[in-house]
Amino acid sequence: MAYFARRFAFFLATLWAAVTLNFLIPRLQPGDPAEAIVSRIGGKGQAVDPAQLEAVRTMLGAPGGNLFEQYVRYLGAVFSGDFGVSYSYFPYSVTHMIGEALPWTLVLVGVTQILSFVIGTLLGTWAAYRRNTRVDSVITLGSTFVGTLPFFWIALLLIYVFAITLRWFPERGGYGGGSSPGWNWLFISDAFQHSVLPGLALLITGPIGWIIGMRNNMVQSLGEDHARLAVARGLPERRIAITYGARIAILPNVTGFAIALGSILGGTVLVETVFNYPGMGRLLLESVSNKDFPLMQAIFLFTTIGVLIANFLADILYGFLDPRVRKAENS
Amino acid sequence: MTLLEVDQLSVTYTPRDQPAVRAVRDVSFTISDGEFVGLLGESGCGKSTLGNALLRLLSPPARIIGGRVLFDGADLATLHTRQLRELRWTNLSTVFQSSMNSLNPVIRIREQFADTFAAHRVTDNVDTRAAELMELVSLDRRVLRAFPHELSGGMKQRVALALALALRPKLVLLDEPTTGLDVVVQRSILDRLAELRQELGFAVLFISHDLGTVLQMADRVLVMYAGEIVENRPAAELRSDPRHPYTRGLLGSYADPRQPEVRITSIPGRTPDLSVSHPGCLFAPRCPYAEDACTQTHPALLPDHGGLVRCLVAQADRLPTTPPGPLTGATVDPAFVATGGAEVASISPGIADAAGTSSAGAAGARSPNAGSGSLSAADTDEATGAGETAAILVVHDVHKRYTTRKGLRTNTVTAISGVSLALHRGRVTALVGQSGSGKTTIARLITGIERPTTGEVRFNGGGDGDGDPTRVDRLRGRALRDYRRHVQMVFQDPFAALNPTRTVAYALSRPLVNYGGLRGGAARDRAAELLESVGLFPAGQFLDKLPHQLSGGQRQRVVTARALAPDPAVLIADEPISMLDVSIRAEILELLADLVRTRRLAMLYITHDLLSARLLADEVLVLNRGELVESGPTAEVIGAPRNDYTKLLLDSIPRL
Ligand SMILES: Nc1ncnc2c1ncn2[C@@H]1O[C@H](COP(=O)(O)OP(=O)(O)OP(=O)(O)O)[C@@H](O)[C@H]1O
Ligand code: SF4
Ligand SMILES: [Mg+2]
Repeated sequence: MAYFARRFAFFLATLWAAVTLNFLIPRLQPGDPAEAIVSRIGGKGQAVDPAQLEAVRTMLGAPGGNLFEQYVRYLGAVFSGDFGVSYSYFPYSVTHMIGEALPWTLVLVGVTQILSFVIGTLLGTWAAYRRNTRVDSVITLGSTFVGTLPFFWIALLLIYVFAITLRWFPERGGYGGGSSPGWNWLFISDAFQHSVLPGLALLITGPIGWIIGMRNNMVQSLGEDHARLAVARGLPERRIAITYGARIAILPNVTGFAIALGSILGGTVLVETVFNYPGMGRLLLESVSNKDFPLMQAIFLFTTIGVLIANFLADILYGFLDPRVRKAENS
Repeated sequence: MTLLEVDQLSVTYTPRDQPAVRAVRDVSFTISDGEFVGLLGESGCGKSTLGNALLRLLSPPARIIGGRVLFDGADLATLHTRQLRELRWTNLSTVFQSSMNSLNPVIRIREQFADTFAAHRVTDNVDTRAAELMELVSLDRRVLRAFPHELSGGMKQRVALALALALRPKLVLLDEPTTGLDVVVQRSILDRLAELRQELGFAVLFISHDLGTVLQMADRVLVMYAGEIVENRPAAELRSDPRHPYTRGLLGSYADPRQPEVRITSIPGRTPDLSVSHPGCLFAPRCPYAEDACTQTHPALLPDHGGLVRCLVAQADRLPTTPPGPLTGATVDPAFVATGGAEVASISPGIADAAGTSSAGAAGARSPNAGSGSLSAADTDEATGAGETAAILVVHDVHKRYTTRKGLRTNTVTAISGVSLALHRGRVTALVGQSGSGKTTIARLITGIERPTTGEVRFNGGGDGDGDPTRVDRLRGRALRDYRRHVQMVFQDPFAALNPTRTVAYALSRPLVNYGGLRGGAARDRAAELLESVGLFPAGQFLDKLPHQLSGGQRQRVVTARALAPDPAVLIADEPISMLDVSIRAEILELLADLVRTRRLAMLYITHDLLSARLLADEVLVLNRGELVESGPTAEVIGAPRNDYTKLLLDSIPRL
């Protein structure tokens, strides 16, 4: 129990540190923070756009009061989800823009990440269970091969075959012109149709890391003394593979998976760009190219918080899965 | 009734991009019902490989390339997986070499028993059966609820033994089941094993390099060298009349430290490279009896003196009947050889008046507090003052407590309490105790890596010992660094102590540059001198070698040379031979004795091995749970221990 309490305290502390750093960094620079930011993202020698300056000021909060008062106001704003007004999507607020984009990413990337992890772990386990056989070679070599293909190449190939040549699925976007977002059948089926190709692209590349990692970890734990002793004890092969192999091999991947899940809040820039998918990745890219600082800052904060939460959950899960961790922290 | 029959078994490792290694060659032997067979041999001779082959647990790159293993008449190699699985554990079980890792770390002990029962359709109640087994190996049944990492090494080993006995097998294969455990724990586990065998009547194949244990426990002993069985005879006969020259060498490297006269020898040279084929006898390059024929004809394992022996000379009955003295000149003459007064003096020149007297007298004269078996802090300290030579380093009434903080609770562990000792030039003081008794903490206090909580560590100058002593416990920064050149350490593991990517010359020149200010050619010359002083001739051959090109003994010599580089006054040797093969231990001990003599070093020799303490040390300090419980001249402490703990340590050594 102490283990979990400690992990939670640690989570709160890092969360606070991240939020505070986000507040402090722009302010620690000499001069007017808003101007410094604008000139940095604008590049040297460019005239400072007053409108941009105004947007950044809004984002930073009115510079009235001392630093502490500003900080309190900032915390209040963050916790009520108020990140100011987007510069490039004026008059929409940053929160509104993120609210529009987030569900798309959460559904597409979230579902494919989970599926990738499940598929990757299963395939890796299978390869390790049948290590040094043809099954193993096919899985290992196959995933290594796919891993060398550039992602955008796979994506373009999918678009070419299934969208342009076969016309099975739409080529780009999140939903068609005929439907409008909402809980209606037309929209949902339309959105699903649009998500098939980007989802497929993610599912082709996503499991590779998990396959290789799982296979190697498991081959290693099956080579360890406790697994060899299990063989000598005459345990059934399947029991050995699961309890003495996979059960231990999956541990390091759990953390990796949680971090992967946490970072989806930042979107997957590549896939969303290639498929012109209206998610967080595309929003981030646009905010960067439009020098929309308030939006950028908010997305970064979001991503950080997402990773922290995921890390916390991974620690908790790890504590349940690996008795050694709980103990090591206690003694 | 023959239970296990091994017939011409050969195993080869075929690693990628490395030559194939013939680790087990044409091994044949049998084990009868209920028989206890020992398999003796040095590290790397193929014992574990053979064991794994018997269990059919070899995995690539290892492969059985010939021979058969018959268990109860069934050929293990051709059995179907199903039949094999059923035979496993119900008939043939094992305890691995390092049981530290032989339990699944993520499931409870109970589950590992449950697994075993379930796999063999044992329908009894798991908890009752498992609890019985725990009782069998003298463990509390609560251990069943624990995870492996919550148990000590000894407890894990008992669990592994309980697991091995779970299905009442006919044969248990024990691969160094107690290596790495404390002597006392080892003893209690082995005693329990012997009792259980009486009760349950299983046969044992006991793999070990620990000669004393094997000879004491086994009915019959197989001696293995370079993948071959070289001798296979009843234990008692093998002990009294070893027939193979290698067996004689091994026996020579072991002695009972309680004997009035203790003497060990080493076998020169190193084991052959198993990746090339040798036409003659594999032992020939190291064998003192080798004849011309030995380099051409490979001897067969033939009946000889009530057993089997693989030696041309023995088979022709031309072997001298009694084992000759040392196989080489490398003998460590203990300080207490009754006739060895002169040798005593030569090992401890600092105490000239010891020479010429009888050994007991010599020992007595050398230790001022010889009369009192018990000791306290004050004793040693006063004794030091009264001694003939002033102590070069004094530890006075030292306590060391470690405080760990967890949340609001603080936890204090007392590592050392009230320890006093004194080191003298030209003398070896042995610090003996189980692991965790605080031996290494004392070494760290002396080198200044740690500071005592209370008490003093005083060093009497690098010079002649006059002038004010240095208070080691107060040194900082530069002064501490300067002090450390006078106190050097030799560590346990010569494999870890050297950077694998750096040459010997580099390893030695580092301290020469740092402490001696030597550069380039001068440092290299000095390094060469150092190598010769630790017996590595010609030095030029070794300077540019990398650690992996050296044998274990050579590595330990290089580590010793490195410790000598800054010309220290005190040498702390922390278990310097425990990782070395028995056949070369004598040689390193002799080197250390020699260095103490010729360089007038003061040496603190840390060990759990009473035999080497007996051979090397002038004085023994016994440490138990951070306190000195006994101290005195080596012969007295080992010959007539007073303290219960010292007695326990001594009783843990097998009596032959
Ligand atoms: N995986 C491997 N690849 C190549 N050679 C190996 C491998 N494992 C062991 N060997 C070699 O096989 C020989 C026998 O090794 P083995 O482990 O059986 O020795 P051992 O007698 O059990 O030694 P120890 O007393 O140190 O346990 C050694 O020469 C070793 O170098
Ligand atoms: S055969 Fe020759 S070399 Fe080999 S052990 Fe016998 S005497 Fe020595
Ligand atoms: Mg071994």
